[in-house]
Amino acid sequence: MQLKILKRGAEADICLATWNGNKAIIKTRKPKSYRNPLLDLKIRKQRTLKESQIMSEVKSFGIPSPVVYCVNVKKAEIIMQEIPGTPIHDLQESQIILLSKIMGRLVGIMHKNGIMHGDLTTSNFILFNNTVYTIDFGLSHKTLKPEDHAVDLRLIKEILNSAHAQIMNPCWQNFLSGYKSVVGTSQFARITNIVSQIESRGRYATVV
Amino acid sequence: MLGLGIESTAHTFSCAVLEKTRKTGKILSDVRKIYRPSEGEGIHPREASRHHIEHSSAVLSESLSEAGVTIRDLDIVSYAAGPGLGPCLRVGAVVARAISSYYSIPIYPVNHAIGHIELGKLLTGAQNPLVLLVSGGHTMILAFLNKQWRVFGETLDITLGQLLDQFGRSIGFASPCGKNIEELANTTTNYVTLPYSVKGNDVSFSGLLSATKSIASTNKPDACFSLQETAFAMISEAVERALSFTRKKELMVVGGVAANKRLSQMLQDVCKRHKAKFFIVPLKYAGDCGSQICWTGLLESQTKKSASLEQTFVTQSWRLDSVVIDY
Repeated sequence: MQLKILKRGAEADICLATWNGNKAIIKTRKPKSYRNPLLDLKIRKQRTLKESQIMSEVKSFGIPSPVVYCVNVKKAEIIMQEIPGTPIHDLQESQIILLSKIMGRLVGIMHKNGIMHGDLTTSNFILFNNTVYTIDFGLSHKTLKPEDHAVDLRLIKEILNSAHAQIMNPCWQNFLSGYKSVVGTSQFARITNIVSQIESRGRYATVV
Repeated sequence: MLGLGIESTAHTFSCAVLEKTRKTGKILSDVRKIYRPSEGEGIHPREASRHHIEHSSAVLSESLSEAGVTIRDLDIVSYAAGPGLGPCLRVGAVVARAISSYYSIPIYPVNHAIGHIELGKLLTGAQNPLVLLVSGGHTMILAFLNKQWRVFGETLDITLGQLLDQFGRSIGFASPCGKNIEELANTTTNYVTLPYSVKGNDVSFSGLLSATKSIASTNKPDACFSLQETAFAMISEAVERALSFTRKKELMVVGGVAANKRLSQMLQDVCKRHKAKFFIVPLKYAGDCGSQICWTGLLESQTKKSASLEQTFVTQSWRLDSVVIDY
């Protein structure tokens, strides 16, 4: 079968395929020639495994994510359902602002259930049929540590502050309110406090 | 337009004279004196500032004579106002203030990190790059958007330069240790597993530093090799993520650690995969130098008025993403 590369992501190549008559994509983590082979193999295997497991698990608490059809750890390959929507990143600004609340809520649900996504960007949420799907679980972890959850929030904040600088404030406020509505006031205060701590550890943050 | 730039943020005291004609700049001179701590030690701010004071007048005169100009020919003087080590920053500021007030030359305080980027753009010709700034003070992935450099990824704790220096010092090298580590790493290909910590577009090096120190007691070359392979792969992955997210078609690497060959080899590989053009600042201007300060000052003078003497501050903490750029 001739495979057409749909997208060449940072980590993996995405090809279109079919699986039992359903449209599917194949996500392959190709070896990276710049990385030491030992390290490379370890990373690719580990992330393929983590991604497929957690992508399935999050569905049990209501996070829309692609259905996993088949996993080949040796080839670092996952065949999964195609979500033919639009990444939040590419939507109109007004829509991004609105959907930030949904993203916040989804992240809150993941955290509440002990999952850290690890790569929260506006490209990793896809709007399809009025539903926001979460994708790319390669860097996710099972963790209840508040510090880990704070790292998640800091990352999406950094992305909003850079890629969506003009609408950063409304997006971030909406994201936080969505997040807060799920995790509750006290946990929210705890996590955002750690976010500030992480930021103050940043290089040349205004501390001196 | 003729400018003098003074750099003194850390271990380097440097004066440079540049001439700007429209959009192009020409480096007429760039003279440096670098403070070297003894083996196994880092920069002592007091000792470094003493070094800068002692060499300041000689470096200044040499930069002027090499450029074939006198102070009175200068149109502006700029100095690095931060971020950096307080005592060191003050030396450069004092020299700049003295020249400015005695000869009535307009003065410009400049952000040191912006200097790395602007000089990189001048020397490489990159137009709209994703920037990797790797030095002793910074590890950041940046892109320019709406008048400011925006941070797409950075270190959550220590910088790549600090990682190399702190590890290097622990095995007896003198800062900066990058070159020594690279040489020792080239003697082996035995990879020992070390913690690999990429968090989205961000990296964290502190765990890697501790782990590498502990394996260094058994085998130093293996530790150097594995440290480079792990740390540089982390940076490369973060860059790859940012390239794919921002869809930029250029990558420019600036800062002292840009001199490392293994790192630039890995990054070239990343660019090939993403069909991005690879630019790296010439070795001679990778580290701290007066040219970066001078060129940024010249650019700023296009749109900004010079600072009054009361405004000629220095600040140890000054993030480059807080600087508004409208030239």
